[in-house]
Amino acid sequence: MSDKMTLQVLANHARAAAENMAHTLHRTAHSAFVKETQDFTVMLMDRAGDTFAVPMDLGATWYPGLTYGRAIDMVDDYRPGDVAFTNDPYSCHVATHAPDTHLWKPVFHDGEIVAWTGGHIHNTDMGGAVPASLSRSLTEIHQEGIRFPPMKLVSEGVYDTQILRIMETNVRKPGLNIGDIKALVGALNTGERKVHGMLERFGKQNFLSGVAALKDQAEAQAREILRAIPDGEYRFADYADEDSDFANPCRLHLTLRIRDDAAELDFTGSDPQLGSSLNVPSGGDPRHTMLLVGVYYVLYTLNPRLLLNTGLTRPFTCIAPEGTVLNPLAPAAVGMRSLTCARLRSVIFGAFSQAIPDRMPAAPAGNNCIVNVMTHDERSGQKVIAAVNPVVGGGGGMPHRDGTNGSGADAAYLSNTPVEITETEVPVEFVRYGLAQDSGGAGRWRGGLATEMAFRVFAPDTRITARNRDRSRFRPWGVLGGRAAGLAEMVVNPGTPGERRMGSADTAVLQPGDVLSVRSAGGGGRGDPMLRETWRVAQDVARGHVSPHSARRDYGVVMCDGTVDETATKALRAKAQPHSDHFHFGPERDSYEAQWTLDAYDRLTGILMALPVHWRFFVKTEIFSRMDNRTGATGVDAAFDETCTRFPEIPGPAARAEAAQ
Amino acid sequence: MDGSMRAADWKIGVDIGGTFMDFCALDTRSGQIASLKVLTTPDDPGAELLTGLDLLAARDGLDPASVTRFVHGTTVGINTILQRKGARLALITNAGFEDVIELARLRMPKMYSLFCHRADPLIPRDRIFGINARMRADGSTPVAPALDDVRAAIDRARTAGAEGIIVSLLHSWRDGTQEAAVRAMIETEAPDLFTFTSSEVWPVIREYERSSTAILNGYVHPRVAGYLAALEDRLAARNVPAHALLTKSNGGLMSAGEGRRDCVSMLLSGTASGVMGAAWLARQAGEKRVLTLDIGGTSADFALIVDGAVQFGTDERIGDFPLHIPSVSVSSIAIGGGSIASVDSMGVLRVGPESAGSTPGPACYGRGGLDPTVTDAMAVCGWLGQAEMAYGQLSIDPALARASVSRLATPLGRGIEETAQAIIDIAVSELFVEVEKLSSRSGVDLRDFALMPFGGGGPMLGAFLARELGMSRVLAPRRPGVVSALGGLVADLRGDFLRTIFTELDAGAPTRLAAAFKALSREGAAWLAAQGHDGPAQIRLSADMRYAGQSYEIDTALEPAWLAEPARIAAAFHDTHRRIYDFDDPDGRIEIINLRLSAIGVTPKPDLAEAAPEAGAPATPARQVRVHLDGARDLPLYERAGLLAGARFDGPAVVCQEDTTLAIPDGARAHVDTHLNIHLDFAE
Repeated sequence: MSDKMTLQVLANHARAAAENMAHTLHRTAHSAFVKETQDFTVMLMDRAGDTFAVPMDLGATWYPGLTYGRAIDMVDDYRPGDVAFTNDPYSCHVATHAPDTHLWKPVFHDGEIVAWTGGHIHNTDMGGAVPASLSRSLTEIHQEGIRFPPMKLVSEGVYDTQILRIMETNVRKPGLNIGDIKALVGALNTGERKVHGMLERFGKQNFLSGVAALKDQAEAQAREILRAIPDGEYRFADYADEDSDFANPCRLHLTLRIRDDAAELDFTGSDPQLGSSLNVPSGGDPRHTMLLVGVYYVLYTLNPRLLLNTGLTRPFTCIAPEGTVLNPLAPAAVGMRSLTCARLRSVIFGAFSQAIPDRMPAAPAGNNCIVNVMTHDERSGQKVIAAVNPVVGGGGGMPHRDGTNGSGADAAYLSNTPVEITETEVPVEFVRYGLAQDSGGAGRWRGGLATEMAFRVFAPDTRITARNRDRSRFRPWGVLGGRAAGLAEMVVNPGTPGERRMGSADTAVLQPGDVLSVRSAGGGGRGDPMLRETWRVAQDVARGHVSPHSARRDYGVVMCDGTVDETATKALRAKAQPHSDHFHFGPERDSYEAQWTLDAYDRLTGILMALPVHWRFFVKTEIFSRMDNRTGATGVDAAFDETCTRFPEIPGPAARAEAAQ
Repeated sequence: MDGSMRAADWKIGVDIGGTFMDFCALDTRSGQIASLKVLTTPDDPGAELLTGLDLLAARDGLDPASVTRFVHGTTVGINTILQRKGARLALITNAGFEDVIELARLRMPKMYSLFCHRADPLIPRDRIFGINARMRADGSTPVAPALDDVRAAIDRARTAGAEGIIVSLLHSWRDGTQEAAVRAMIETEAPDLFTFTSSEVWPVIREYERSSTAILNGYVHPRVAGYLAALEDRLAARNVPAHALLTKSNGGLMSAGEGRRDCVSMLLSGTASGVMGAAWLARQAGEKRVLTLDIGGTSADFALIVDGAVQFGTDERIGDFPLHIPSVSVSSIAIGGGSIASVDSMGVLRVGPESAGSTPGPACYGRGGLDPTVTDAMAVCGWLGQAEMAYGQLSIDPALARASVSRLATPLGRGIEETAQAIIDIAVSELFVEVEKLSSRSGVDLRDFALMPFGGGGPMLGAFLARELGMSRVLAPRRPGVVSALGGLVADLRGDFLRTIFTELDAGAPTRLAAAFKALSREGAAWLAAQGHDGPAQIRLSADMRYAGQSYEIDTALEPAWLAEPARIAAAFHDTHRRIYDFDDPDGRIEIINLRLSAIGVTPKPDLAEAAPEAGAPATPARQVRVHLDGARDLPLYERAGLLAGARFDGPAVVCQEDTTLAIPDGARAHVDTHLNIHLDFAE
């Protein structure tokens, strides 16, 4: 089956096996995380533990390039019927936060392991300091729940009940965890059975060589795409609003170097590892799947027939220096790495946008915020904890199409819950669920609109969490003359005298009758908005997507009683000044970067990287607190001098000397 | 009894597909069966009906005045949606929720693509008008719709050129009075605009799905109503005494009069009645667990029959939109006889999803197509082109097939036959993926199922797919081209009714269930009466139930007597849950979301005469033909008409008939039963 002409037959059998596993898990899982949010993955792996097939219909999009090799090697003496597992982000960097529990199972043939089946589920709770085990404020992995390093969970078909008891004792919803884990084991068994079917259908040698050919094929596809991208070095940075409770921005920086059919992703210049749970534990793996998710999207967008497996990661090499936000050292907390990962994707999109501007969209909203409510149901007298909905934003303007409204791009795998279902089960009343006017970045192709959700609560001390909120400060960027999108916001009692704007906060406490409004960011615009056809602008106005005011200000289109005043429009558009930079970031980032210039960040990076890891976040925070009225590299130097004076314990002046070079 | 001496009593099933209108006519007095395919007339839908009736009269002596049953399945509704040629509608909904139909359920297909997007809604945002009205989940109404508000919306709808208005308000699953009030205002203010409310179309909880179903109904309503009026006129013009019946997505029938307003229930009628026809044929042949496979030019439809029962679902899709009414579960993939093979830049051969369709069609049809298709690959390998096809309306030119496949063989550096076989293998593996998904979704093991191939392409690929799936039995019906038309002939009247009650299964539940059951029974009886049914009737009762905290319900069959006994209902639910999901939770709290009732008007079933009993009639090949199957081989070719009951032969072989070709691979033992079905058994 290494015959290329019929490789598609093996590819289809492999995908059928993966889809089978996904359906088995989705059908038999217990928790909403698996069933509704579809926060799970399943895969088939070759002998080395490299993924060679994933489902396309169900599950999350993050792990087609995942390799289990390191995890596999940490367990000895596999026998048929064994299943091993881990949820420890630091043992082998397969799991990337404690709720994600990864399982793998050997597939034996004639006494030897010929393949593995594997997958992960996001457990509702793994214990630790807070319900659901996730909070940005946590600072150590030990607060994020119980961790299991790689070990056997099932030996020759029999569960290790001691492990299950330890888990049951430590987590808040043991029934869900155990139920979901057993569903995943069922899915792995399904996969094992299907692999045996493939071995029978194709024969062992053809199966093994075919699997290798599938990975080679994905690699060849990825290399073909890269060859079509101009060689060069493309630098891009983007920011999460806050790095911790200290609320300084978290910067991710990428230098993308493309040479012929290979690419290097150098994340040097990204923030030091943080004193919050926003760290992404990649372990410095040059092809860690979490660092490459944005790449999968880019490649798949450029070739929708891309085979998704580890082969496509081969042309890529990532550099994530140790002790940084993308390669933290234990025991840094990592629970909320999803927020950072969203920004990581937009950094990758931004770098590729410079390399192939004609083929890439503008920034998607990039804040996959999940709203949860903890309240009291006066009807039943029960305490209720429930997920209300994801509030995600639109996609960026595309080369030949407006950004998708309300979701899209790298958020398209999320589903919502019907208002009627939520209102029946949870004591909240929706006031609004829809698209936010003027929230999409203006452009020849408009960015997708933001989602806006508002609901009222009825019980005192109702606690809201809006996990992964971001983009309240730094807008999703526009490209090629298109403008940045509207910002996310969270407001209590909007439009009333008691209105409270919540800034970047991701929690709120509500009292009876209070209304909470959560809005995502929008998608960035693409191309000069003055070139957008006037009928499209008029249609946007008729549909309420764009206000008449914005039509005039952002698109130069003068609306008069619902129709376009062509003469006035022509005159207005003639006076417009196009935005000539490749990116449009909006005033917030422009003014931030007027202070925090590229030089400033280079200097900061130099200073911090010269310090021991456990000093870096502290010093970053102290420098930031001394930047008032300072700008650029000299400003950073001055702030660092002042910090060193205040804290003479900071190790060695050597650090400064080195940074100054 | 000697039926031939008595007056004829014809029952006709007519189903329209993409290229042909299929007729299956049965004279119940003589047992005579006539089947026919007529090319469709897209410019004048329905005109081909008269052509077909005239041909049946001339060829089979069918007197229109002796037609006592006329059952029709039409694609006019679904085509209206796929071609987006439906009514210009407005939507009135709650202020603040105008974007519900655009947001849908957020998740999109092609989720790895940054260019992923949803289809444009059938009603654009500028014809969606929010009014101040609100019902809560418990049915209380803090804000009632006000006439001024509705009047303003009507004015704007009219200005926007709307022909009809859909009314969909939150929580109308609980109580439809707010929607009814708005409709009454529209009927008074704008009697020229037609109106549907979401709760009258299908009162299910989940605002997007309920709205979408109501919108689909309104969108196709003017065209469907017009088509049905013309149909009835045409039948009357030929003096057909029977009132037209329509096949429905739920596998049942309704009157054409009902169909003018209940348009949404016929959208998937063709695929549904295909499965109904297949189920009926399977029952006759003694097969209880069947995978049906209907392959046309551009797509393959398949469905499961489990323990003799057709499977139902409520999450079918029409193009880009969910259709949330009970429908026969049918899965589709864009692989058919016309699917085009291509080689990508890596040298890997692919099949589909692009299709040569019916125009220009496969290259070997000689109608201008140049791209190699699955049908061309079959012709190159010698499976096709050995006999006349489609009642003489098509012929196969193997030279054109070879020329098209050589366009790929040359760059691949492979032989033409080898490439053609690879195309077939890949097409089969594409079907394999989708069937595997269906079986894992449904939790069934296909190895104890029989595969029933029909449609023009099903018999070509069916046995190969069965082998790939590890299935050991194939059941090839005698008339694979008219299974859907037959399905209409054997269907019952069937109306579905639903009450969303959303209650915990506790001591208070029986009262609510009894009230809902009473109302549903009344609706069902009234519906059957409205269809003009005076024969025997049945009801089927079921409930959508789940464990508290789950977000998907499962449909659990119930008996009316159980409604007073929550424990009995709970036991049925635990059992069903364990069967589908491999586990149950005997201590879990149970919620009943919907109570469902189907009112079934049982119709007399035609008794298809059995052929002569098996007499060990020999199977004699008409000739040997050269087929490429792992190398060139001479295989026996059988004429289907010459295969009598009891005939037995071994694969590999080719069986030709007027509307399809059955390809029989190695290892199969073939046997013709008394209904002239061919059974293939693959000895393990």
